[in-house]
Amino acid sequence: MKKQIGYWISAAWLTFVVFLAIFGQWLPLWDWEEPDYDHVGQTPFTSWKHPLGTDGNGMDIFSGLVQGARVTVLVAVASVVIGGIIGSALGISAAYFRGKFDAFMNIIFSVVLSIPNLVLSLSLVSILAYSDEDRPTTDTRRIMVLILSLTIVIIPILGRIARATALQWANREFVTASRSMGTRNLRIIKEHIVPNVAPAILAIAFLAVGVVIIAEGSLAVLGVGVPNGKSWGSQLANAVIDIEFYPQSVYIPALFIAATVIAVNYFGDYVRRSLDRRESKI
Amino acid sequence: MSLVKVSDLSVSFTTERGQLKAVRNVSLSLDAGESLGIVGESGSGKTVMSRAIMGLLPGTATRTGSVTYEGQELVGKPDSDVRQLFGTGMAMIFQDPMTALNPVRRIGTQVEESLRVRLGMDKAAARARATELLELVRIPDAQQTLRKYPYQLSGGMRQRVMIAIAISCNPKMLFADEPTTALDVTVQAQVLNIIDDLRKDLNTGMILVTHDLGVVAGHTDRIGVMYAGQLVELAPTTELFANMKMPYTEALLKSIPRLETPTGARLPVIEGRMPDPTKDEPGCPFASRCPYATDKCRAEAPPFVEGTPGHFYRCWFPLGGAQ
Repeated sequence: MKKQIGYWISAAWLTFVVFLAIFGQWLPLWDWEEPDYDHVGQTPFTSWKHPLGTDGNGMDIFSGLVQGARVTVLVAVASVVIGGIIGSALGISAAYFRGKFDAFMNIIFSVVLSIPNLVLSLSLVSILAYSDEDRPTTDTRRIMVLILSLTIVIIPILGRIARATALQWANREFVTASRSMGTRNLRIIKEHIVPNVAPAILAIAFLAVGVVIIAEGSLAVLGVGVPNGKSWGSQLANAVIDIEFYPQSVYIPALFIAATVIAVNYFGDYVRRSLDRRESKI
Repeated sequence: MSLVKVSDLSVSFTTERGQLKAVRNVSLSLDAGESLGIVGESGSGKTVMSRAIMGLLPGTATRTGSVTYEGQELVGKPDSDVRQLFGTGMAMIFQDPMTALNPVRRIGTQVEESLRVRLGMDKAAARARATELLELVRIPDAQQTLRKYPYQLSGGMRQRVMIAIAISCNPKMLFADEPTTALDVTVQAQVLNIIDDLRKDLNTGMILVTHDLGVVAGHTDRIGVMYAGQLVELAPTTELFANMKMPYTEALLKSIPRLETPTGARLPVIEGRMPDPTKDEPGCPFASRCPYATDKCRAEAPPFVEGTPGHFYRCWFPLGGAQ
């Protein structure tokens, strides 16, 4: 299949974002915590010093986004990877062993899925990382709890997919054949089920990254995300009061979030399409 | 002592329409090196029976009765203990070469799996033995084939790979579940000859499940005929063909097309269908389709009796009369 232009754009954008997240701290940029009082509310694309302009406090927007990329990418990748591993393990074992364990997991997945994910994260963050003037909590703790709550959101989403896909494979003849040669269950799952289920999970995992980025942004706007403009969502949330005077401090982070979510969705679609082609071949 | 002894084996599946009795009270035994053919029409329970002996049934199945392997009882034994017998004791050649190999794993990995898991060979030894096994089942260019994926092989080649996997740990007992149905006739003969040669070398017992009477005739010592989940006739191969007792066996044999059948003539069939496996009806299960059936057949099920030594049948009015 010829790769479409959208694939290259998405790939380039995601590489750029991940590059900023990993190496951004060593780039020669304006200090993201240092206001520049000589250039308050500068329009984007008008100077090399502040390429994406500054906000109402003279903070460099690009530097802020580079810092935000770190937290946003960390939160998104960590919760999808952890949630994906736990969810797949539970879903695949449920499909392989069936019986009571399967029925139990099905109920658990349904219950967790029935709770709107924002409400779930909102309550977890406000209980586990409660913060006020008297008892301030650290940003690290906030980020940890955020990852935990988003992991819990991801587990049933990917768990369901893993279970449904594994069900198709668990009763295949080659699984019985391997069993008939005395292979242990764990090895059968590892050798014969996971390689067949993995592509489908991968495709959904990309979409899940998008879901998590949006959720992180929404939580920040609701005031329970990462505080102090340390993530894209919280940068956007902090700037909302300034939207009338310095719109760039809102729309630029919003564009970054949107572009990244569109890119992971496109990428997920691409993975799914190549998976479909592979399926039809084997 | 017999290698495998099955007594009173029954298998039922839980379905929406109630308990489906796929295998009913089958008893048989097999000595080391002996070859037993199981024939019967589709749905007669042949495949389920062979899998039930090994304990490879899906979770919806219940197995009762007794299966012993070298004197050890297998029914009710924990899976982890039975697993110790798989591969080295009992192994199975599966029916469909298209689905019994993992599409995303190389042939080599799949052949080597049991060698490494069951025999604890290291990578190099397993690779060497896998090459040897593929040569044994006459796959040309074994080294090359080990690196291929299943979709790159033809049906006949995949079937050979499956035979290679089944015999990889030198099993004492081989279940061959219609090993040739997916193949064309010329390859069928080759594959069966390969299995026969290997069995002779290793003195392996075999249960050959098939619906093809031509296949069992040339490759078995004894034949069991199954109908509606029951063993209805069991006799040494030559005795069965020369002196069959069951009208069902006769009907099966008659339904084989012959060279002398005129062109365009209708193929002979056994009229009617098998009884519903979810219901328990009185009488002989074949009565509704049997040309010789009487009121007694419809009212009372015949017992499994031994006419001449070694020849069992389940009929009130056996062909040629009861001895």
